[in-house]
Amino acid sequence: MKQETHNNKIQAKVFEELCDAIGRENVFDNIEERVCYSFDATKEKSIPDLVIRPHSTEQVSNTVSIANQHNIPICPRGAGTGLSGGSVPIKGGIALDLKNMNRIVELNARDLTVTVEPGVVTKDLQDEAAKHRLFYPPEPGSAGFSTIGGNVAECTGGMTGMKYGVTRDYVLALEIVLPDGSVINTGSKTLRSVAGYDLTRFFVGSEGTLGVLTKITLKLLPLPAKIGTVMSYFKDIDSVLNATDSIIVKNHLHPRSLEFVDKTCIGAVRGSAEETIPEEAGAFLLIDVDGNEKNVANDISRIEALCRENSALKTSIAKTDDERDALWDVRKSVSPSLFKIASMKFNDDFCVPRSKVREVLKKVYELGKTYSIQVAAFGHIGEGHIHLNVIYNDGKEMDLSVHKLVSQILKEVVLIGGTITSEHGVGDAKAEFIGLELAPHEIEIMKDLKKMFDPKGIMNPGKIFI
Amino acid sequence: MSTDWKTEVDKCSKCGKCHTVCPVFLETGDESMVSRGRISLAEALRDKQIVYTDKLRDYVYSCKKCMRCRTVCPSGVDYEVIISALLSGVAENMGIPLLPRIIFRYILPRRILFDLMLKVSSKIQWLIPMKRRGQMRHLPLLFMGKRWIPTLAKKTALQKFRKTKKLKNPKMRVGLFTGCLINYIYVDIAEAVVDVLNRMNIEVVVPQGQLCCGTPSSTMGDFKSTKKLADVNKEVFESQKLDAIVTACATCTKAIKMDYLRTLGPSWQSMSDKIYDISEFIDKYCGDEYETKPIDEKVTYHDPCHLLWVRGISDEPRNVLKKSSDFVEMDQAGACCGGGGIFTIIHYDLTLKMLERKVASIERSGADTVATNCPGCVMQIADGFAGKNSKIKTTHSIQILQKALVDSGINKEK
Repeated sequence: MKQETHNNKIQAKVFEELCDAIGRENVFDNIEERVCYSFDATKEKSIPDLVIRPHSTEQVSNTVSIANQHNIPICPRGAGTGLSGGSVPIKGGIALDLKNMNRIVELNARDLTVTVEPGVVTKDLQDEAAKHRLFYPPEPGSAGFSTIGGNVAECTGGMTGMKYGVTRDYVLALEIVLPDGSVINTGSKTLRSVAGYDLTRFFVGSEGTLGVLTKITLKLLPLPAKIGTVMSYFKDIDSVLNATDSIIVKNHLHPRSLEFVDKTCIGAVRGSAEETIPEEAGAFLLIDVDGNEKNVANDISRIEALCRENSALKTSIAKTDDERDALWDVRKSVSPSLFKIASMKFNDDFCVPRSKVREVLKKVYELGKTYSIQVAAFGHIGEGHIHLNVIYNDGKEMDLSVHKLVSQILKEVVLIGGTITSEHGVGDAKAEFIGLELAPHEIEIMKDLKKMFDPKGIMNPGKIFI
Repeated sequence: MSTDWKTEVDKCSKCGKCHTVCPVFLETGDESMVSRGRISLAEALRDKQIVYTDKLRDYVYSCKKCMRCRTVCPSGVDYEVIISALLSGVAENMGIPLLPRIIFRYILPRRILFDLMLKVSSKIQWLIPMKRRGQMRHLPLLFMGKRWIPTLAKKTALQKFRKTKKLKNPKMRVGLFTGCLINYIYVDIAEAVVDVLNRMNIEVVVPQGQLCCGTPSSTMGDFKSTKKLADVNKEVFESQKLDAIVTACATCTKAIKMDYLRTLGPSWQSMSDKIYDISEFIDKYCGDEYETKPIDEKVTYHDPCHLLWVRGISDEPRNVLKKSSDFVEMDQAGACCGGGGIFTIIHYDLTLKMLERKVASIERSGADTVATNCPGCVMQIADGFAGKNSKIKTTHSIQILQKALVDSGINKEK
């Protein structure tokens, strides 16, 4: 099977050209390496023709300009932990692994900024910032292994969004390699800048379809002295929603995180979690508050009391960092644990206005019943965000029903005034649904803008738009 | 072997959490050298998208088999089932190189030949011009490649403890599974085990027929040879009337306690239940009884992967060391030292990087001595300090206890 170990799609001449430009040791054409760069956390798979692992902006620029000359697709990739197929090379071409560009270039504590290469793991950046008593707030569930480059490309949100917003709120400046190989700098390493159009914001969340991010300057905040955590179990989702409204709207408290998990999710993590979960629990809320010690203690006890007022079955307050980690482990292991129920899942990330959560969840569970497909919901409920997971076993008929169900759910979300994706990105997983939310004219404008940067369409083709 | 690996791979959610703990990925950042990548390779093999190649073998061999990924996997993937299937597939499809094959199939099962081979090798190595670093020198090239290790013992542990020292009214009677490294090189560790246990009024038998645990052959996918060795070890240890079996080697403990359950089946369960790491045994059966005079040294502890990440043993060795010395914790105590089998030969550069990190952690701890519960780790870490002119000593934790133990009066005489 020799022919399978080498691919014929990239001409020998182009292969040589790439090797000359960026070094043979950074170019991988063997099938084994290509298989390893064919997927992300959606489990979708498409084998690239080449894997290239550059170490510098120059190597990225050389790679991209050669690819552009020969019309070879480029699919940038961080840690491959995305949830929308963003880094899956669905049209083949080059999987551009940026994991080797992982230097923290400059952390300027007085300026409250840090400049990093895209392959830096988010948690590594947070740990480095913490050494200076500084803080990079966005915290996706995958912060321990996903990269800043991927976080910016997808504009990820994460657990601290309730108080601190999402990735885009922290990106100040970018160095970008455009498809013709040229390098541009957007924004400024200042905490404010309004010079010209906001190209930085345009590239944040562009899902690798416009260019390759090679340096990223982020805003940092002073590190809160203390984080307090309460876990609160409820009988049902209604009680959870009453408690959240009571905390935010009636009592004007501002938690750092307000995470919710439903009954099916609890079932998936029960047993593997250190925490003892009450048998009758139909949902839980995990709440973080941060600030100075006194305020945190005060807020935590008020929040605990509010949960009890709203008929919490059990509440636990973390007394140590270890206890806090244990509570958060329960929340963070929910998504992958759902694979224990069935081998496939569609992990949605829609968001609705806060006041519409009750309505949308009711609809979603009803639709699940109508289609006889199991759905599980968790998410950053403080912001009206839901990770709706459709769980199923592989099979053609099932695929079709799942597709119908997801499509129906997203229609309802948009009808209610929500968005089809709030932190995973569109990728190819949701490309067909973008028309539900955006009008044809709006899509045309976006496509025109893409053409301006990437006239040959080599950058991550097949993503966002079909 | 591993009938269900084909379904096990489907459990992987491809989330990438294994990136955070894999010692090899930490050095390379290469997806083909981490569990998630290797699982995708297994999947591609199952789906006939790839075949066994030299490259694939390298990626499979790049796994340290520390099993740390399994401890963080939120999808509950039993990675060991998958990596074992890959190793076995490599062996079946690509064959095992002649020399290891001869060693696994013909020499390891025959103690006399194994003794002879090492004896001859140890003679030959004196004839070969070689470098020295402190007390360390090359092990026979044919056996371990570029590693620096201490000299082979003149008398093996098995030879030394041919006769069991009888105690008057022993509290228990235990068997010692020596393992190859302790039998041939670190005989002093075996001596420490026997001495400490005897002084705690525990009779120690060192069954003579015991063979290698089978890990070297398993790591090269030769599970047939492992089975042969396991069969003999089963017979040898079952024929003795023992209250427990102890080992001082983390990898041997994993092999005979855990892996044999798959190699030999459920009939091994009752024996498996009786197998302990030496610190685990002391902590469980003698924890409150023995007296010590702590040695005047700062001692830190390195967690062997196969003890910490496979068996979750971390407090027991520390409890023993805290009673025996001025114990200090090091950062990253559970990080792999890089030692172990075929990996150190094929990926020697990575081995050295892991070792450098480990050595730096130990130095930062300010310890005079690093103790661990695995002769493989002792060899690797000692290799790291060899020639560095470092005063830090590497030892087994049982040897620290041996020095600190105060005799209770029972069976005091040597």
